[in-house]
This record gives sequence, structure tokens and C-alpha cells, in this order.
Amino acid sequence: MEQKNDVILSVKNLNVKFNLRGKVLHAIRGVTLDVHRGESLAIVGESGSGKSVLNKNFIGLLDPNGFISEGEIMYYGMENGEPQLLSGYKKDREWLKIRGKEVSMIMQDPMTSLNPLKTIGKQIGEAVEKHQGFKGARLKEEVLQILRDVGIEDPERRYKQYPHEFSGGMRQRVVIAIAVACRPKILICDEPTTALDVTIQAQILKLLKELKERLNLTIIFITHDLGVVANIADRVAVMYAGDIIEIGMVREVFYNPQHPYTWALLSSLPQLGIKGEDLYAIQGTPPNLFKEVVGDAFAPRNPQALAIDFVEQPPYFDVSPTHRARTWLLDPRAPKVDPPACLKKIQPSL
Amino acid sequence: MEAKKENREVLLSVRDLEVTFGSRRNPFKAVKGVSFDIYKGETFGLVGESGSGKTTIGRAIMRIHPTSGGEVIYKGEKINGKISKELDKKVISEIQMIFQDPMASLNERAKVDYIIAEGTYSTKKDLPKKERMELVDNSLLDVGLLPEFASRFPHEFSGGQRQRIGIARALIMEPNFIIADEPISALDVSIRAQVLNLMSKLQRERDLTYLFIAHDLSVMRFISDRIAVIHKGVIVELAECEKLFEHPLHPYTQSLLSALPLADPDKEKNKELIVYHPDECHFDYADNPPEWVEIEEGHFILANARELEEYRAQLQK
Ligand SMILES: Nc1ncnc2c1ncn2[C@@H]1O[C@H](COP(=O)(O)OP(=O)(O)OP(=O)(O)O)[C@@H](O)[C@H]1O
Ligand SMILES: Nc1ncnc2c1ncn2[C@@H]1O[C@H](COP(=O)(O)OP(=O)(O)OP(=O)(O)O)[C@@H](O)[C@H]1O
Ligand SMILES: [Mg+2]
Ligand SMILES: [Mg+2]
Repeated sequence: MEQKNDVILSVKNLNVKFNLRGKVLHAIRGVTLDVHRGESLAIVGESGSGKSVLNKNFIGLLDPNGFISEGEIMYYGMENGEPQLLSGYKKDREWLKIRGKEVSMIMQDPMTSLNPLKTIGKQIGEAVEKHQGFKGARLKEEVLQILRDVGIEDPERRYKQYPHEFSGGMRQRVVIAIAVACRPKILICDEPTTALDVTIQAQILKLLKELKERLNLTIIFITHDLGVVANIADRVAVMYAGDIIEIGMVREVFYNPQHPYTWALLSSLPQLGIKGEDLYAIQGTPPNLFKEVVGDAFAPRNPQALAIDFVEQPPYFDVSPTHRARTWLLDPRAPKVDPPACLKKIQPSL
Repeated sequence: MEAKKENREVLLSVRDLEVTFGSRRNPFKAVKGVSFDIYKGETFGLVGESGSGKTTIGRAIMRIHPTSGGEVIYKGEKINGKISKELDKKVISEIQMIFQDPMASLNERAKVDYIIAEGTYSTKKDLPKKERMELVDNSLLDVGLLPEFASRFPHEFSGGQRQRIGIARALIMEPNFIIADEPISALDVSIRAQVLNLMSKLQRERDLTYLFIAHDLSVMRFISDRIAVIHKGVIVELAECEKLFEHPLHPYTQSLLSALPLADPDKEKNKELIVYHPDECHFDYADNPPEWVEIEEGHFILANARELEEYRAQLQK
């Protein structure tokens, strides 16, 4: 197992629920996850699988109708070495020492994360001032440097402009600049490139990788684009219906996937399709999280599900020291089921 | 596909199309003289970065935006500019558009039956209510939704279902030609395959022709027969899909392809991004302007004499 000093954030059996019009929605169902210092971890899964909700717990931004019903989150990144029980934080004041300084998050909707009425320079300046206390000329110099750091040309002119004068890609650079302005240790990126073109997306990914090296960041990257995962991630966690059903090094998950949901996700890529034939499409819909899920949550959509999948939730089985999956197929007693043939098209080439 | 090549019938022909926005004193040309043909029954892909003019071209064909130059010819008749009432009616029913964002493109206050039937109120004005509702039920079934859904509101549906409603709304008009503007970009991965399969099935069954607009190249490669690459309102390259992916010639096409994210970590971590610098590549355009040339059969490129020579040499290899 990993040594503790490698782990910056540790999640144990996390359960998150929402109160919604008298009913309870069980959004995160027992997530256990260690995030390693300096890694880039991608979290993938379809819409509603709980990617955003899981991560909002790490900076105390869970919506007010949500609560942790069970489990804990520990943060080990403080300068003074004191572990922080994030799941025990009650007051906003406690979060102030974490948010921005320790953990920073780029939210899913890039348009809402900038204030349209303030200049770019002022917005970055406020973040820097709040955390580093710089003022006046010193502050401006710092902001210009940050703009340069995220690859914005002519920062003197850009400093005075408003968000609407920036293209989508440039705006996303500014959002990233604000997020790293206080030198956080963990940067959570929630779908930062979904709204962007491929060329701009590639540039933003490159920027994030550079910043990660330069600032010693740990990155958690939420996306549903498997191409982006292949590009940026060291490790991948696949979420389904509020749980991580498979996690491993990126090469392990792409070249040797184990869970039928991971198979299905990969198989539906147009990249693997044969022209003129139908693409593999996952049937049905994810489970209703207002009801308690029984067994393997993916079973009703899995044509090859085993009888036990409908009865009992599978435990994690280790595939390697770094790779594990929650599927009964890995139980020694299970019948042998081969992954879909089209997955052979994704092969290691190194 | 290949066998039909010789006698392919051109359904839509766009010649030197220009679309200009803004005022007379401050005009902005969003589409700067593009030309292409779309054959009956094919899927013609249009790719390019955000703001390059893809939607504008689609809307100009649909007659939503006026054109400021060039011609759009559908089944041999010019359909841009001033046209007769009958022709306008024909265009309205035969050419349909599926929109970019299924969340924003449906009228939230109308029920699904009205949304789907809307177009028929102008083309089939006097249709009895019962028959109109039958048409609605049939088009819901065509896209794999239940007729019971007709009395619901759009917000009660998932993204994939909404996009199906958008497709049903186009199908009810019995179109020949569908302009699909990023029909799956806003959808979740797991639903994208369903919608793509549905579109292919409908194409096979009804001999539909698609103009498919997207910026996701792996989707384009899967679905398109031919692809045109557009950059800042100008088409720079056009070729059969596989040819374009195997032998991209124009530096902008190369940069687009190099950025395509592949779900394969070994390939992805070693890929080289090619950045497009128009000023460097095309330094001599002022003295030696480019032209739209068919460099080999079915493969068009925007290039000047110097570049053509280089591209020809590349094709020899
Ligand atoms: N404030 C809330 N109240 C009630 N339910 C919520 C709330 N926020 C999220 N949920 C529910 O929790 C589940 C997980 O949502 P989450 O936003 O984490 O999904 P996601 O994986 O980020 O999806 P996407 O890819 O669409 O962003 C969903 O079923 C969602 O409807
Ligand atoms: N109604 C309009 N009025 C003024 N300018 C417009 C209008 N519609 C589009 N434009 C401009 O025309 C150019 C082309 O826009 P268009 O929407 O066609 O791009 P696109 O290629 O579809 O981009 P995307 O991939 O982002 O959808 C852009 O610069 C845009 O700002
Ligand atoms: Mg989310
Ligand atoms: Mg568009």
C-alpha cells in the first residue's frame, strides 16, 4: 500500500445525500480514494454520476441541501503538517484556510466564473491581494506576471480589458490564472475544456501540464472526454452512479479495462467505430438515486450481467497494486467473460 | 459508395458564398466566398474552429441569414436572394436544421406535440387536427420516443431525448436534406452513440443527405463521406474523409488533426501539436494570392503556385 506521506487527500467510504422536496437522493455512495501528491488524476463518468458533487466536498462548496451522511475526508497538505479532517468542517471560516490556498477549483461553467463588470486585471488582482497581501504597483506587477504565465500575450493591454473582449480560450486561461493565483497544492478542474475547440483545448491542456510541473500541483481533472483523459492523466477513476467502479494507472484502465461499464464507455467511442456500422451504444439509463441501489449499479444495463450482480454489491478486486475494479467478473468463481472485441483497437504502443 | 462516384447527383451547390454581418459602414464578412457541392445521399462534414462560420453557412442555406454574394443552388434552382413563394415553401419543407444546443433550441413553454408539429402549420395549413397528431406520433416513434411524450414539456426530458425531439421536429417535414449543427456536442458520451446511430439509420432508410457540422474530428471521421475544413470564413481544404485524415495537405488541416484527442494514452502522450501560423506559411500571399484548386480527383485545396508545387510533391510520396 502507499505510504501516507504520498497521499495528500484521503477519502474513506464517503456518502453524500441531498434533501430534495421531502425525498433523499444518495449522490455519492461509499467512495474511497487516495489522491497522491503531484499526480494528475482524471475522474470520468457520464452525466449525473457524481463527479462534481464528489469534488465540491474537497473545498466545502456542497450545495446547502447536501450533507455527508457517512465517511471522512482527510487533507494532509498543510505547511505545518497537521492533518485536516475536511469532512468535519462546520463553518465557512474553517474553509477559508483551505479554499484557494490549499485546494482550488475551476468550475464547470466558464461563463459564470468571471465577473462581466470588472476588468480582467482587477479580478486577478483581487484574488492575489486576498491571499498574498500585495498592493499597488507590486500587485500589478504580480498580475501581469500571472497573465504571462498562462500564456496571454500583451498583458499590459489585456489587463485593462473586460471578459467579453476575450475569446473562450483566453477566458479559460484567466480562470486558470485566478485559480492558481494563491499557489494552491491541489487544483480541481471540472470540465475545463468541454466548451472549447480542439486546438484551443490542446493548448489549455498543455498549459495545465506546464503549470503542474512549475507549481508542483496535484491535479484532479473531471471530464467525460476519454481523449482528454489519455492526454493529461497519470491515473483514472471511473465513476458510475455515485461510486468509483474502477481505478488504475491510465495505461491500465485503457489497455486492460476490467469493469463492464468501463468497457461500454470505451466501446462507444466513435474512434473505435467502423464506418457504415452502428456504434456501440449503452442501453437504458443510470439508476434512480432516490432509491437504494442493490448489487452492481450497472447490472440492469449490462447484457452480460451475472445473477449475483443483481443481488450483492461487488467488492474491489485488485488487478495490480495500482489497479482495482468493483466487478464480480474478477471473482475467481466467475465465468470468463471477454471484453468487447473492438477494444483491441486500443493497444499499448510504447 | 465508391461505385456510385461516376454518376453522383449534386443535391446542393454552393458557389462563392458570402455572408456579411454588421452595418454598411462597419461590415464584418463571416463567410468569405466558399464553394462546395453536396451529393445526394452523402454526409458532408464541415469542420473548423469556433467562429469560423460553420453555423452561418448552414443558416445561409436555410435562408435564415441573407447572403451578400454568391449562389446557393438546390436541385438546380437558385435558392438564395429573392425567390418565388412556391420555391420558398419547397425549401422550407425539404431542408431542415437540427440545432447545436438541445437545451436551448426548444421552446420551453410549448408542449412537445406543438414543437414537433410547428413546421407543418405553414406547409400543411389545412390538415385536420387528428391527422397532424398522427404525424407527430409517427415522428416520435421514428426517433425512438413514445407517442405519450407528446403532451409533456421539453424540460421533462434528458439531453439525448431533447435532441431526439429536435430530430423528430425536422423529420415531420419529410426533408431530403438535413443540416445537423453540432447535433451531439452538448450530449453526454453515453448518449452520443445513440443519436449518431439514429441519424445513420434514418439516412439509410430515407436516402437523406446531411450537412454535418462539428468540431469533434473523431465523430467526423466516423460519420462523414467527405469533409471540408473551414478557417476564418474560408474553406481551405476539401476531400474524401479518409484521404483527408491520411494525407492532410493544408497546414491548418494538419494542425486540427494534430490536436484531435485520442483515447489512447501512449499515442496521446507522445503526440506533437502542430501550430498553424498563417503569416509564416502563407508569407507570399500578397504577391502570389491563393486559388481554390482541385489538386487530385475530389481533393480541393486553397493554395498559391508555390504551395501547390509543394503539395504535389507531398502527394507523390
Ligand atoms: N443541489 C442538489 N440537489 C439535489 N441533487 C443534486 C444536487 N446537486 C447534484 N445533485 C444530483 O447528484 C447527482 C450527481 O451530480 P453531479 O453534478 O455530481 O454529476 P456530474 O457527474 O458532475 O455530471 P455532469 O457530467 O453532468 O456534470 C445527480 O443525480 C444530480 O442530479
Ligand atoms: N447574427 C450575427 N450577427 C453578427 N455576427 C455574427 C452573427 N452570427 C455569427 N456572427 C459572427 O460570425 C462569425 C461566424 O460565426 P458562426 O456562428 O458561424 O461560427 P461557428 O463556426 O458556427 O462557431 P461555433 O463552432 O462556435 O458554433 C463569428 O465571428 C460570429 O461572431
Ligand atoms: Mg459535473
Ligand atoms: Mg456554430
